[in-house]
Amino acid sequence: MADDSPASHRRDPIKSSVGNVAAQRRRQNAVTVGKERRESLVRAKRLCRVGATGDGDVPVEESDMITDEEGFLLDAQTSSAVEELKSAVACQGKGAMQKRVNALRELRRLLSKSEFPPVEAALKAGAIPLLVQCLSFGSSDEQLLEAAWCLTNIAAGKPEETKALLPALPLLIAHLGEKSSLPVAEQCAWALGNVAGEGEELRNVLLSQGALPPLARMMLPNKGSTVRTAAWALSNLIKGPDPKAATELIKVDGVLDAILRHLRKAYEELATEVAWVVVYLSALSNFATGILVKSDVLQLLVERLAASNSLQLLIPVLRSLGNLVAGDSHTTSTVLVPGHEITDGVVKVLVKCLKSDHRVLKKEAAWVLSNIAAGSIEHKQCIYSSEAVPLLLRLLSTAPFDIRKEVAYVLGNLCVAPTAGEGKPNLIEEHLVSLVQRGCLSGFIDLVRSADIEAARLGLQFTELVLRGMPNGEGPKLVEQEDGIDAMERYQFHENEDLRNMANGLVDKYFGEDYGIDE
Amino acid sequence: MAMVVDYKHESSFPYWTSVCRRFEPDSPFFSSGNLERELLAKQVALDLTEDERNQLEKMIDNDARSVFCPIVGCGARLTSLEDFEDHYAARHTASCSVCSRVYPTSRLLSIHVSEAHDSFFQAKVARGYAMYECLVEGCGLKFKNYKGRQQHLVDKHKFPTSFDFFNKAHPSKKKRLKNQQKRRMHKKDEETSSKMEVENETIDGLVSAVSKLSTSDSSPSNISFGRRNARGLTFVPRSIQPPREKK
Repeated sequence: MADDSPASHRRDPIKSSVGNVAAQRRRQNAVTVGKERRESLVRAKRLCRVGATGDGDVPVEESDMITDEEGFLLDAQTSSAVEELKSAVACQGKGAMQKRVNALRELRRLLSKSEFPPVEAALKAGAIPLLVQCLSFGSSDEQLLEAAWCLTNIAAGKPEETKALLPALPLLIAHLGEKSSLPVAEQCAWALGNVAGEGEELRNVLLSQGALPPLARMMLPNKGSTVRTAAWALSNLIKGPDPKAATELIKVDGVLDAILRHLRKAYEELATEVAWVVVYLSALSNFATGILVKSDVLQLLVERLAASNSLQLLIPVLRSLGNLVAGDSHTTSTVLVPGHEITDGVVKVLVKCLKSDHRVLKKEAAWVLSNIAAGSIEHKQCIYSSEAVPLLLRLLSTAPFDIRKEVAYVLGNLCVAPTAGEGKPNLIEEHLVSLVQRGCLSGFIDLVRSADIEAARLGLQFTELVLRGMPNGEGPKLVEQEDGIDAMERYQFHENEDLRNMANGLVDKYFGEDYGIDE
Repeated sequence: MAMVVDYKHESSFPYWTSVCRRFEPDSPFFSSGNLERELLAKQVALDLTEDERNQLEKMIDNDARSVFCPIVGCGARLTSLEDFEDHYAARHTASCSVCSRVYPTSRLLSIHVSEAHDSFFQAKVARGYAMYECLVEGCGLKFKNYKGRQQHLVDKHKFPTSFDFFNKAHPSKKKRLKNQQKRRMHKKDEETSSKMEVENETIDGLVSAVSKLSTSDSSPSNISFGRRNARGLTFVPRSIQPPREKK
């Protein structure tokens, strides 16, 4: 492919390093899911291609596979658009404002055309200081909107590109205020959401510059796309790992109420973003978790799980439930009391998730069940007698590995009584016997054979339960039938010493020299 | 019947305890859910096809899923946990055709065969040659008796004291019954010939057994690779082995 020759005549100084890289990039895209596309898809940032107001004057490109020539062209156009903006900003007097808006609009169009906007070209041409100037107080809404939109897309890409927005942050935050028009505030929130999605460092900058309170306030109204964008931006802002922001958020006046209101009534897309906020609140802040658990939120989460079939909504709702169960013992001990309606409701929706086709739902639902099964004896009985167990048994033999591991946790937890002090926990013989009779042992022996340390450990631990706890000394025979001895003997030459000792210990204890002699 | 059960490991076994498990938001546990979130959000805007989604999920899964074979001395890199089973079956199940014990490398298998089933080996031992090789590949040291080698493994190579090369595998039920039958049958004959069965081996037993050799099952007829029930087949190269291959 003609790489250098025609280009070298046309290239101007600015693009000499940019052009080649961009061209290569675009070429790779055309083949498979290229590395850059993969990265851009996976990022917690979002490109704005259609304006907040539903601005229809930008035809969204049908195909995003730009050829080399088009790529060069785009970069060239971007550079000149920035030049235009530069002179427009320098202008004074009548018509200056319109000139600025036109220049901004042109730049914005170029930055919204494709999946990979010419950000590098824009930055190299010096767009940021100009855009910051365009954000100054007193500027028209149109100007603010276009400038914020440009910044949004510049921030949607690679880390260094997002970081370039640093000078613009204080102004973007300022325009979140209640005096700003809604579209402007929303576009600024979007840009800030991208910045927050970059990483901890930028999040801390935003928090120290006071981004949280205005964004939180934007989440309070009932209607409008602004609420949704603000919720998304907040979820990026509080995602930590420092729990401070999450704790601060739940303390903002009206936030808890808004969260509950949206979970109860909002349309699915908004409920989704709010659910993600709850995910981070419950995963990071014990304070927030405590508050949430004492509110109606669990009931609302259960209702959403029961009513919706949108994977996008179910994932954060399920996870919020999981985090609340895992994060605060109050949840299982006081709210999800066995026999109460809400508890039945929870088990029911978890069963629904186990039955779903989606891997994430099955895995995380099993996780939540395992934590409930780690509660009191009554909790274990409740799950044991529910619809969940036959499903779990089936999943243990047929599901993908990561789901099987979680299922193993549930089943094992059902068989041991709550930990009470030192020494080995007591078995719940009834559950153990029944589950083994229904064929779960082979699934556990399979885990013993796996290369995953955690899974192997679970398998060995359950095997021990069987060896120890099956009545009439049946345990060893059952384990042998499932090739358990074979599976455990593999560990003699295994590099993990703990597993080796565990396996050897079991074999020595239960399959010693006199094993099977009285047959 | 009233054998003393070994309680050596009792106190140190990490019994199953039911505990609540909590994960940080950036824990790998949540990564597939996080991925779904971003893919679903960008689906419309970026026109993601079904194929691309599957490709992406697979790529991310594989990154997380690759694993190294945990058998000592192997360290092979496997792209998935499913691969591990295949790898293990192909590489680490060298089994002895005489007594069905399974070893993870062919070298260990052949050491076992010499030490447990080869009368020539025993004869040399009886005459004082250093026949017991160190089990660690590359070490090269040899010892005059089993105990000496055992001590070397513990001292030099940090093997656990409970490690016992001889007493490793526990034969299948079928084999055990066969052993018991044999023992009853041979009771009338040399009682000690049954001591060739590695189960009850002691060093002294070995030496005395050498002097009372019976020719029944003392030489390995063949070595087979693959699972135990492939016992009896002569060496079958991997490419021809039954299950996963096409033909």
